[in-house]
Amino acid sequence: MNATAKAGQVGRSLPRLEGRAKVTGHAEYVHNWQVPGMLHGKIFRSAIAHGRIRHVEVDAARRVSGVHAVFVSDDVRRVIPNPYYGPAFHDQPILAIDKVRHVGEPVAVVLAEDPHIAEEAARLIVAEYDELPAVTDEVEAMTSNVIVHDVLKPAGTFPDLKHLEGRKGTNLALDFRLRRGDVRSAFAAAEHVFEHTFRTQPVMHTPLEPFVSAAEPGDGTLTIYTASQSPSFVRIEIARLLGWPENHVRVKTAFLGGGFGAKLYIKLEALVAALALLTRRPVKISLAMDEQFFTITKHPSTFRIKSAVSKDGRVTARECEVWWNGGAYADIGPRVTQKSGFTAAGPYDIENVSIDSYALYTNRPPAGALRGFGIPQLVWAYESHTDMIARALGIDPIDFRRRNFLRDGRPQATGTVMQDAATGKVLDRLVERIGWGRPFDRGQGNLKRGRGIAIGFKASIAPTTSVAIVNLYADGSCALYCSTVDMGQGSDTAMAQIAAEVLDIPAETVRVVHPDTDVTPYDMATLGSRSTFHMGNAVKRAAEDARAKVDALKAELDLPPGSNIPLPELFRRKYGMQAGNIIGIGSFIPSYASPDHDTGLTPNATPFWMVGGTGAEVEVDTETGHVRVMRLINVADLGTPINLRIVETQLSGGAIMQLGFTMQERMEFAEGQLLNPNLADYKIPGMRDLPARIENEAVAAEQRNGPFGAKGVGETATFGVSPAIANAIDDAVGVRLTELPLTPEAVYRALTKAGR
Amino acid sequence: MSATRRIRFTLNGRSVTVEIGTHETLVDVLRSRFALFGARESCGQGLCGCCTVVVDDRAISGCLFLAARVDGARVETIEGLATGERLDPVQEAFIECGAFQCGFCTPGFVLMTKQLLDENPEPSEDEIKHYLSGNLCRCGAYPEIIEAVRVASRKRKSGG
Amino acid sequence: MPFDLVEPSSLSEAIKLLDPDDPAVRPLAGGTALMLLMKSGFFRPKRLVSLCAAGDRLERIHVESDGGLRIGAMTRLASLERSIELRRNCPVIGHTLRTLSNVRVRNVATLGGHLAHADPHSDLPPVLIALDAELVLAGPRGERTVAVEGFATGLYETRCKGDELIVEAVIPPVGGKRAAYLKCTTRSADDWPALGVAVVWEDSGGMIKSPRIVLGAATETPTRLKVAEGAIAGRTLDDALLARVGAAAAEEADVVGDARGSVAYKKQLVKVFVGRALRAAQAHSGGTA
Repeated sequence: MNATAKAGQVGRSLPRLEGRAKVTGHAEYVHNWQVPGMLHGKIFRSAIAHGRIRHVEVDAARRVSGVHAVFVSDDVRRVIPNPYYGPAFHDQPILAIDKVRHVGEPVAVVLAEDPHIAEEAARLIVAEYDELPAVTDEVEAMTSNVIVHDVLKPAGTFPDLKHLEGRKGTNLALDFRLRRGDVRSAFAAAEHVFEHTFRTQPVMHTPLEPFVSAAEPGDGTLTIYTASQSPSFVRIEIARLLGWPENHVRVKTAFLGGGFGAKLYIKLEALVAALALLTRRPVKISLAMDEQFFTITKHPSTFRIKSAVSKDGRVTARECEVWWNGGAYADIGPRVTQKSGFTAAGPYDIENVSIDSYALYTNRPPAGALRGFGIPQLVWAYESHTDMIARALGIDPIDFRRRNFLRDGRPQATGTVMQDAATGKVLDRLVERIGWGRPFDRGQGNLKRGRGIAIGFKASIAPTTSVAIVNLYADGSCALYCSTVDMGQGSDTAMAQIAAEVLDIPAETVRVVHPDTDVTPYDMATLGSRSTFHMGNAVKRAAEDARAKVDALKAELDLPPGSNIPLPELFRRKYGMQAGNIIGIGSFIPSYASPDHDTGLTPNATPFWMVGGTGAEVEVDTETGHVRVMRLINVADLGTPINLRIVETQLSGGAIMQLGFTMQERMEFAEGQLLNPNLADYKIPGMRDLPARIENEAVAAEQRNGPFGAKGVGETATFGVSPAIANAIDDAVGVRLTELPLTPEAVYRALTKAGR
Repeated sequence: MSATRRIRFTLNGRSVTVEIGTHETLVDVLRSRFALFGARESCGQGLCGCCTVVVDDRAISGCLFLAARVDGARVETIEGLATGERLDPVQEAFIECGAFQCGFCTPGFVLMTKQLLDENPEPSEDEIKHYLSGNLCRCGAYPEIIEAVRVASRKRKSGG
Repeated sequence: MPFDLVEPSSLSEAIKLLDPDDPAVRPLAGGTALMLLMKSGFFRPKRLVSLCAAGDRLERIHVESDGGLRIGAMTRLASLERSIELRRNCPVIGHTLRTLSNVRVRNVATLGGHLAHADPHSDLPPVLIALDAELVLAGPRGERTVAVEGFATGLYETRCKGDELIVEAVIPPVGGKRAAYLKCTTRSADDWPALGVAVVWEDSGGMIKSPRIVLGAATETPTRLKVAEGAIAGRTLDDALLARVGAAAAEEADVVGDARGSVAYKKQLVKVFVGRALRAAQAHSGGTA
């Protein structure tokens, strides 16, 4: 599989293929989709966090002139008798049934031809509830008497959830455990023991194209247009809900106006499917920005981490307990819990490790994947912890990391041996760029400067499948069919480059056909930085298959394999005119071994490792607590980049997003209500929030089983940002923050407490 | 009551007449009557700039602007920026610099950049950041956008 | 939902179209704030009275012979920002506008709308109070003048009656006064401020004369900090005085805690930013900062 690029298509910093469409406003988004006779839906949502539904009064809304229909869960059941969905648990109803479990949960929906009328009518709906006590904290949810779901219903997809089938009286949606070595003895023998607890806050992806889905009924078929990162999953899940064969459900996407993990699995798709079948008309639902915050969020977390350290500064044992606040519906939370559980102990070579990672139901809006699949929450804790230990022992934080680093060829906590993970190189380049050890301006007066670094790593999601088709037309032009969704990461361009490299044609000439499940083949989803590696390998194989078929055609036409007769001429000779196609097919599924249920150990946890590090230089205003990031250095191991330019923008974009989660973003809840579901009060980074300098670097590396040595990049730059900044704050002013976000007030309070 | 009215305005250089409701915003009308989707509502509060439209040479948030107010005005959208196949220098600069990822905020940034350079042909980095602080890019393409503004400034100076 | 949108061509006609007894009838200036209220369903208009064509007086910037300014209520914030007259006679306003919301809002929002909306986080009211500005209001019984100080009576409430309109703002000559406005945001650079501090005084041979210190955003309405003013009047600025006046300001300010900061933290910000605003004003004469 390890072929190097020769045709010069891979490795080009080619501008994105869709650039022209995007700068002229012509790029296609589902947001734009409209057809005659279409109905617009507006969702009526729960105003409380937990309660039994006594009555939903919809008559006033139905009477509004222009309203086509108002539906509640009983209506949905006429077309979908068992309307519960979810990738890990079948726990989420299309519209609330009997109970609401989080504020903002969909309870009813109004349909009208005019979206303003639908919105106006939805405001007239009144729901009465018997309010129940709510559980909102992930640690409390472990032992709370408040139970979010009466009985657990695993979806059956994941073997490690089977044991939870039918469980009652618990909020625990997965308890991943890993046991390696003898943790107890190591702690007993330790020279030093350190224990800290870290927390992260609820935040939201806020893609600027809010969730949008539409459905159009056909004759025994249904077409869904949706801004989704997982069109194949949508087809399978909608077919399951309807009891239809997969081939009766068609799912199409377009460019996504951002995804970041929000637009995965089922969001609005099941609802629009039900509404289209109920009304026999095309139905579209476009969420407003505020509604996004009730749809999916990033897991708040609590992480207790404890380390045993020897006299010479070696970490001999580590105990990790992580509680993930999954909200009212599991979504993909149990996968976040397990996959991130693999690496909770950090990129360190530790003999004795114990990890417990708990997915918990609470009465908060559901949490799912967000750019890093739990890893940024973990790195926040273990890299803060690492610096705290080093400082306490008087060891330079870089030196301390070097003493304990996990290097290639050594087993990681799961027992999987590290391969093609350039942790050492990433650290070296960070140290070099930030000038660690060299003199440095520490500021003056009320402005104090400090520096910090942090490194994280991630196991890719596995096992997952990608399938691709390369179609060579009779004029020699090429189309690539794959269900990878380009949501801004540049996958269309990267996939075109891979196909073009194999076929030795300019990448600009490859037409990438966007996901349409009637046309493009299966792909697990566009998530977890998996596409470059998985789909990239599938595309490469599809192109190789097409090339082999071209060679076979040459042989059939009695031409030598090396003959340079152009493709159109081959087709003409074969078919007597410009006709026919050559179809190359490639599929890829990497090997994987499930972890043992009791020990979490596996010899093959992941097909590839992602490694990302951040260096930060900050200036702290000691009078106000304001922190200004002067430099943010992102260094990552991405294997050998397919397109360095796009890869660098992924690094800086990922880091800037994580900077928002680090410094400013927080969903504020009070008395069960979300106080800031809008961009006026939920502040994502703008131009003036940027660090004074941002630097990005992909270290020289190769992922040997990746396409042309490449691997994923979308999440890598998020890993180290939060702890690097907290470490830099500590370096500047000697205070330690253990909870995100690092607001000016939090910094100021810490300074006051420390008497500085 | 004059709940609906007929308005006439110039849209990307073409005179148009349309019947609207007084409550409709400019961005509503552009998409529903003219199939122009480049200005798009996102935050709904005038903060993200995705709905940027230029009315009588001033950039406005189309999602907070009553369509009734463009009666008699000159309205320009992202779709009117290129001349035939020829892109505006700002558009070219955005492509060259890779100044976008998902592209949803891009028309707003392009139009605001053009406004900025019309007012201030060689803005400093600080001026760029202030002028564009009302546009949000969740993909975080800001460093590339700042670079694109500089490149566009040079292109315009050298006549494209 | 649709409503009646009227565009009177004179001020008196506009006033006649208002209805003080019906909260669903409102004047419409730039509409940036009103549209937000309408979109969220908080305000459902029956009739909006657009002031776009209600007379030139509403849109002009007039410089009096003594350097005082009369600014029409329908003057767009962007026009204020770019106005050469303003830059020359009252630069602190242009400086304040630079970080007020964003370019598109400033292109549409008007001075009158900004003041009538009475959002406590607005940037201009503290500056105008510090400059001792007044507003001319017109109603069915004629015109009256009120000070900007005290114009906002509470959250989104003002002294302007339901059948009155703001016609213009009157700013006394700034001359060689020292002036500055500093604001502090805590969640992002473009957030609504956690506080804004405007300071204006006359320099009398190094001594501070007739100081005004006005706190916005952190209080329910923009508020003069009179104890702090008293602490600096007749004195020369030095570090010890700055520390004292900061502490006095924090002590007297009736600060409201919210998501941008607790009461205790905002008091600390008041303490720091009053001092910084005074320093900034001292560095420049003529109201620059």
